[in-house]
Amino acid sequence: MEIHDERIGNTFVVTAKGRLDGGASAAFAEKVGALITSEKPKLLLDFAGVDFVTSAGLRAVLVLVKKVKAAGGSFALCAVQEPVREVLDITGFTDMLRIHAARAEAIAAMGG
Amino acid sequence: MTAPMQFESATVPTPEAVVALTENVTQFLEEHGVDMRAVHHTSLVLSEVLTNLATHGGCCDRPARIVIAVEPGRVMGEITDSGPPFDPRSAPEPSLDVAIEDRPIGGLGLFLVRKLTSALEYTRRNDENSLTFAITRGGNRDPDRSGRETVT
Repeated sequence: MEIHDERIGNTFVVTAKGRLDGGASAAFAEKVGALITSEKPKLLLDFAGVDFVTSAGLRAVLVLVKKVKAAGGSFALCAVQEPVREVLDITGFTDMLRIHAARAEAIAAMGG
Repeated sequence: MTAPMQFESATVPTPEAVVALTENVTQFLEEHGVDMRAVHHTSLVLSEVLTNLATHGGCCDRPARIVIAVEPGRVMGEITDSGPPFDPRSAPEPSLDVAIEDRPIGGLGLFLVRKLTSALEYTRRNDENSLTFAITRGGNRDPDRSGRETVT
């Protein structure tokens, strides 16, 4: 899985590409988790390029959500592909997370 | 000449082998005109069952046999392994309605398997576990988002 991160305003935007599965999830959680160093971090995961998320990938997302929440920050996903969205729906993640259709909309909603 | 409608593999469920298997199955299903959603669900079910086998089944050193068949209305799959008896249908349901801070990390893999399949059967025979599953082709999502498929 390819992971790219950038800072837009006060929001860390992580663009992931490929499969978020058992082989990739630990490195993903570690690399993205390392961005969460400040108080009230804002973290946006852009999943436009993610076509496969297993339960191991969901666990990595949950680890990150918990870390952001523990620091009093905000977390969102955007541009989730339909099969992945279905997995998020089935597992109740959609009800727990903020999921935006597009990156610009997500950044605006998170306050930049 | 028509390509065979059945895919067979013997896979030791290491993470790398599971990725390679799902890529091969994806290619096989796409070549047979299976819709993207059914292809995705088949790959995910295989990935979850085999990963669970490697983690909990104690048979990471022994290959599991996988058969995938394309039928007119569905994709059928069978996974056979020689690990200790385990019925994936009996795994406890995860708590989905608790606050995010309180959600346990884990327990979602076999839950997904149950939700993504339209049929799921387990048999123990000849000291082997046999799990068969069906994934509906061309299915739509239920409005209640339960993940069960409906055919239009």
